[in-house]
Amino acid sequence: MKFEVQLKSSSGQVKKRVVELEREASRYRVKLDGEPVNADATQIAPSTISVLLNGQSFEVHITPSLDGTIKLQTGPHEFTAELQDPRAWQGRKHGASEAEGRQQIVAPMPGKVIRLLVRVGDEVEAGQGLLVVEAMKMQNEIRSPKTGKVERLQVKEGQAVNAGEVLCVVG
Amino acid sequence: MFRKILIANRGEIAVRILRACRELGIQTVGVFSEVDRNALHVRLADEAYPIGPAASRESYLRIEKLIDIARKMGCDALHPGYGFLAENPALPRACTDAGVTFIGPPAEAMEGMGSKTAGKQLARRSDVPTVPGTDDPIDNPEEAQSLARTMGYPVVLKAVAGGGGKGMRVVPNDAAFAGAWRDAASEALNAFGDPRVFLEKYLIAPRHIEIQVFADAHGRVVSLGERECSVQRRHQKVIEEAPSPVVTPDLRRKMGEAAVRLARAGGYVNAGTVEFLVDASLNFYFLEVNTRLQVEHPVTEQVTGLDLVKLQIAIAAGHRLPFAWESITPRGHAMEVRLYAEDPDNNFFPSPGQILSRHAPTGPGIRLDEGVYEGYTVPMEYDPLLSKLIAWGNSREETIARLRRALDEYTITGIRTNVSLFRRVLAEPEFLRGEIHTKWLDELLTRPRPPAVAPREGTEDAAVIAAALWEVQQSEISSETSHAAPTPSRWKVQGRREQLDRTS
Repeated sequence: MKFEVQLKSSSGQVKKRVVELEREASRYRVKLDGEPVNADATQIAPSTISVLLNGQSFEVHITPSLDGTIKLQTGPHEFTAELQDPRAWQGRKHGASEAEGRQQIVAPMPGKVIRLLVRVGDEVEAGQGLLVVEAMKMQNEIRSPKTGKVERLQVKEGQAVNAGEVLCVVG
Repeated sequence: MFRKILIANRGEIAVRILRACRELGIQTVGVFSEVDRNALHVRLADEAYPIGPAASRESYLRIEKLIDIARKMGCDALHPGYGFLAENPALPRACTDAGVTFIGPPAEAMEGMGSKTAGKQLARRSDVPTVPGTDDPIDNPEEAQSLARTMGYPVVLKAVAGGGGKGMRVVPNDAAFAGAWRDAASEALNAFGDPRVFLEKYLIAPRHIEIQVFADAHGRVVSLGERECSVQRRHQKVIEEAPSPVVTPDLRRKMGEAAVRLARAGGYVNAGTVEFLVDASLNFYFLEVNTRLQVEHPVTEQVTGLDLVKLQIAIAAGHRLPFAWESITPRGHAMEVRLYAEDPDNNFFPSPGQILSRHAPTGPGIRLDEGVYEGYTVPMEYDPLLSKLIAWGNSREETIARLRRALDEYTITGIRTNVSLFRRVLAEPEFLRGEIHTKWLDELLTRPRPPAVAPREGTEDAAVIAAALWEVQQSEISSETSHAAPTPSRWKVQGRREQLDRTS
């Protein structure tokens, strides 16, 4: 199996890598950017993968995000990866890289909407507060990622929301 | 000794208490709100009963429900933990009426020492130094302002009923007084239903150092030494250690004696903590008394070798303090970090949700007090404290090295935690030198973050390979089970669904 992986480090640097995994008995043979590498990768728990790369031991913890990307944690380091199978007709949606254009604002955590700070049609600045979500006894202002116009408000005051739920759309 | 104890709390402290009970051979009864059915304390208790909806005022704060369960299930004692009802004198009163022993101080001692103004008056009477300020709440803002002028700025306004920094305002100068007064009073009213505030001289860069006291019902009061809790984020402690890097044996003795005098004067029984502010010249000033077990009690346990919860239970059962206590010398060094479900990269937003995977640190000198497990959904309704990671060693240096090592081993996915905050603090030269004060962390967080340590060679390659392998395994799982669309994670989907069912 061959994958194109867009790897984004916490500093924002993005690299495109190609990984090929070829099953060989109970293990995989690995090629990285076309070159064979001495890697022994094994899944040791549902979201934990151990990689021995030229003998160097790494443990990588994986959390899938709602936007289709996955988060990789290894020691204190974190990466975000987006995978595409080049043979597939349609790749995964480029959720995270969509910096321009219409923005969906999603709840960063489950909680309760306690205040709406804007109305549909309002012009907002990047960084301006849109609404306030309360969770764990803390009130958190959710801010607009861009300058634009509030196109839709999907929630009401007092409404409970789940992490990842769309709260409003700024166009 | 007691036969059966009701634990009127949740989370890590409920687990901590029931472990002590189990070691003593005492049966445990847990209680849980609607969102806590799967909580660890329910799994570990001998018996557990529902006490109402998620909102704590309808469950964990309902005295009559707790008493009802205690009576029906034949409990002869109740432990309140910390938070919730732990410092509400109505609970010990209700326990007494029901013939259940309250594991904590008598209601009168709570009232006489627990409120900030009452505690301060008691401190004055028992010759314990206090920060210059008013003993009584002030009703008139003009009167307060003229007092502030006499005292000299900066001053601080504090809510009489306060705690956790709510209803608290630092006033840097005369011009800011009126506005600060208004804010403090309205915040106090909102948070505690009581707008009254009092006034104190504001100490610049003080340390927070507290003394653990224990008193039995036979008149013996002892000090178990100090804890340094100066690393705070917005008035909330996040790292605690014992002994304090600045307390000398002489200062320890003086602070201990002051705390013991105060506890004795207040008719105190059971575990209590006398908090002090300590200035740069090592003068100490009484701050307040916490009439309960503290979150950070494990650091004292590690350097004294005592189990404070068992000690609380023994004292409540009428036992005498089991040791002659002239002077306690802490052995080695202990340090605790409070791991919260919050995102330090995103303004410390709370991060409740399901813990998808978790690896807990172990090994020499490591203790983990917690109320979570892999697969557990951290509810959004309560305090975000997940775990307390405690390290101890022969020296402060060894303790910090162990704590760092344990933090590197600790991994948790699915929710965000503040682990990275501790990685940063434990590498700060000022922290390593013990040069800390109560505003230190807030100031540190305004400074630019030091550049991240470059990952060792191969880290990115390993991450990319892991991502691909995980993708392969995921697609194998989904093709084995069904032809449904591949899902990011079954656990996560299930967790969301449950949360929807709950909140709708």
